[in-house]
Amino acid sequence: MRPRLCRMWVVWAGAALLPAGCSDAFNAGPPRYVEQERLTTDFKDKPVLQGKVRAALAKHFGDAPNEIKVPEGSGLPLGGAYLANYVKQGDAVKSIAYVPATPTSGSSDPQPVEGGYGLYRKHCLHCHGVSGAGDGPTSSFLYPRPRDYRKGLFKFTSTPTGAKPTRSDLRKTIEYGLHGTSMPAFEALMSKAEIEQVIDYVIFLSLRGESELSLIDEASTSDEKDPEALSEDVVKDIIQSVAKKWQAAESLVMNPPTPRVEPTHASVMRGRELFLGLNKTGNKVECAGCHGPQAVGNGPTFVAQEVFNHIVFGGNPSAMPERVAELEKSDPKAYELWKTSLDEWGNPLRPANLNRGIYKGGRRPLDIYWRIAKGINGAKMPSHFPTLEPDKIWDLVNFVLELPYEPKLLEGAKLPEALPAAKTAGNAAPTASESIARGQGGL
Amino acid sequence: MRNWSLLFAAAAVASVLAFVYAPFSQEWWLPNASDNYWHVASSYGNQIDHLFILILIITGVVFIGTQVVFVYAAHKFPDAPGRVAKYIHGSQRLEVIWTIIPAAILVFIALYQMGTWADIKFRSAMPKVQPLAEITGRQFQWMMRYPGPDGRLHTDDDLFLVNDLHFVKGKPTLIYLRSADVLHSFYLPELRLKQDAVPGLTIPVWFDSDRAGKLELVCAELCGWGHYKMRGNVTIHDTQAEFDEWMTGKMREQSVDQLVSAQGSKGN
Repeated sequence: MRPRLCRMWVVWAGAALLPAGCSDAFNAGPPRYVEQERLTTDFKDKPVLQGKVRAALAKHFGDAPNEIKVPEGSGLPLGGAYLANYVKQGDAVKSIAYVPATPTSGSSDPQPVEGGYGLYRKHCLHCHGVSGAGDGPTSSFLYPRPRDYRKGLFKFTSTPTGAKPTRSDLRKTIEYGLHGTSMPAFEALMSKAEIEQVIDYVIFLSLRGESELSLIDEASTSDEKDPEALSEDVVKDIIQSVAKKWQAAESLVMNPPTPRVEPTHASVMRGRELFLGLNKTGNKVECAGCHGPQAVGNGPTFVAQEVFNHIVFGGNPSAMPERVAELEKSDPKAYELWKTSLDEWGNPLRPANLNRGIYKGGRRPLDIYWRIAKGINGAKMPSHFPTLEPDKIWDLVNFVLELPYEPKLLEGAKLPEALPAAKTAGNAAPTASESIARGQGGL
Repeated sequence: MRNWSLLFAAAAVASVLAFVYAPFSQEWWLPNASDNYWHVASSYGNQIDHLFILILIITGVVFIGTQVVFVYAAHKFPDAPGRVAKYIHGSQRLEVIWTIIPAAILVFIALYQMGTWADIKFRSAMPKVQPLAEITGRQFQWMMRYPGPDGRLHTDDDLFLVNDLHFVKGKPTLIYLRSADVLHSFYLPELRLKQDAVPGLTIPVWFDSDRAGKLELVCAELCGWGHYKMRGNVTIHDTQAEFDEWMTGKMREQSVDQLVSAQGSKGN
């Protein structure tokens, strides 16, 4: 009877202590940035340079996520204000260390500011990961995969191909989410000021990640024995050049030179001809090569839908490499197509089904114009400006926006000339590689 | 160990006191209008509250009764050295009684609430109005599709918003509720409305509010790891004109084809 009684007391005491005992104790340790694999694999015989890269990152960005340093001239709030758990006193952000909440009565008392880091941990980290590498614990269950910020590449921007997004591009993504993906809308969950703090932190992570990549590039071509290699000045230059790209973005926004063409039937039909590559004058575009003649996203330049479904959704997400290896053995031609159907991050890619009326980058005519005119960074969607005149892009915009409401627009449409029918893409060996070349060269 | 019964008694008394205190606290009681916390903003809110309170009273009485018997038994018959537990096979009469009484209570509640159910959920009771919007739950947000100026859904002037519900004070409002993936539940606590969104079904749902202001829309069905972030803003406009003005503004935002600031700088 005695031991049993004891056990009961333990249960009761545990239940009473539970609310008070919440802590990070179950975590493996304090949060740490994930390093690029290259820093280990490429530097096996260069321990000095490897150490220099690590030291440079720690010096300019902080050793760990909870010790944030912001490089000067990065355009982010100086000293990292609002990036982490700083304390707001009146209007000024006073302390760098975390100060626990104190009972407050007036605005001059210290108020804890959650900060970009705190908000990111709460809302974003479980998908985008501690380092912004898109490797959070829920990420493997998602398609499309969450963005890895460390390349400094963002898909949906208002700036030219390859350029950084503006703050308002990131703001739009956070506020309204990306439809058709797992990125939800955060407008109702955070205040305007909080969203700005999250943007700061995302830019910080991207800046850090891209600087890491540039430092690795620089170090891998440097001489291990050279004491001047990766000197302080070089490191600063590298970080500054990344930061400058972010600052330049704001002035690079592409505003359409002409306003939207009236979405009349004639304009929609002109858009349809452009989409199918049937236009008789001007530069041709081959939207249908990727998006398919019915615009359901099954063009011959991409791997067939069944193959894609099997690899991406056909089982345990972490066993995808095995399914790809299987494809390589069973169907080498489809495997060739598979390799060209990946984005810059190495993730599988699918052209949009334009009949569904779901537009990841936004549905405003301006958004669609940007997608067509300047493409999607990191994906296969190329830029079409100035290949296409703005008026023609607007015709395409009008066509794309009208298509979900007029499903018969593309009924029975075929790919022009010798492009093979979409269904047989996986097996149509002789023409498949041709059409890849055509699809990419022509676009 | 007779004293254990005192702990159980204290827990029961604390629970009962919490329920007695609840109606006097705005934080604890049902969410109501900010200017008068006895007032429910929706027209069927009182019917729902009536059922809530009736069920609270029934369960309260049962709770007090069972706790009294439980504490009494624990206090009266603690373990004692030398006493041996007695085995009985059971009592058919007792079993029949404790089956019939709860069954009768459940049948009573089932019959009693039928009128309320019919008033709120039956399609014949739905207000004969054009739907305000088609709302689709997905992991993890509420996607809202308003019919736009022509008043018809699924035409090319539809307005698409996320987590942003707007309607007009005092007007019965109808929405079509859908789900894109798993079960969600459309929950407006202040208006006493909760309706599951079921994949494959389009469910008409109606509600109204006699107060203008801002509320919160939440998901009330655990729908996945991001369930907690499935929240929306609700704005109840004072007049139709105010709503129309909001809608016109949003339609303009959705049809933007130029950046205004950039256009300005170009003109200079």
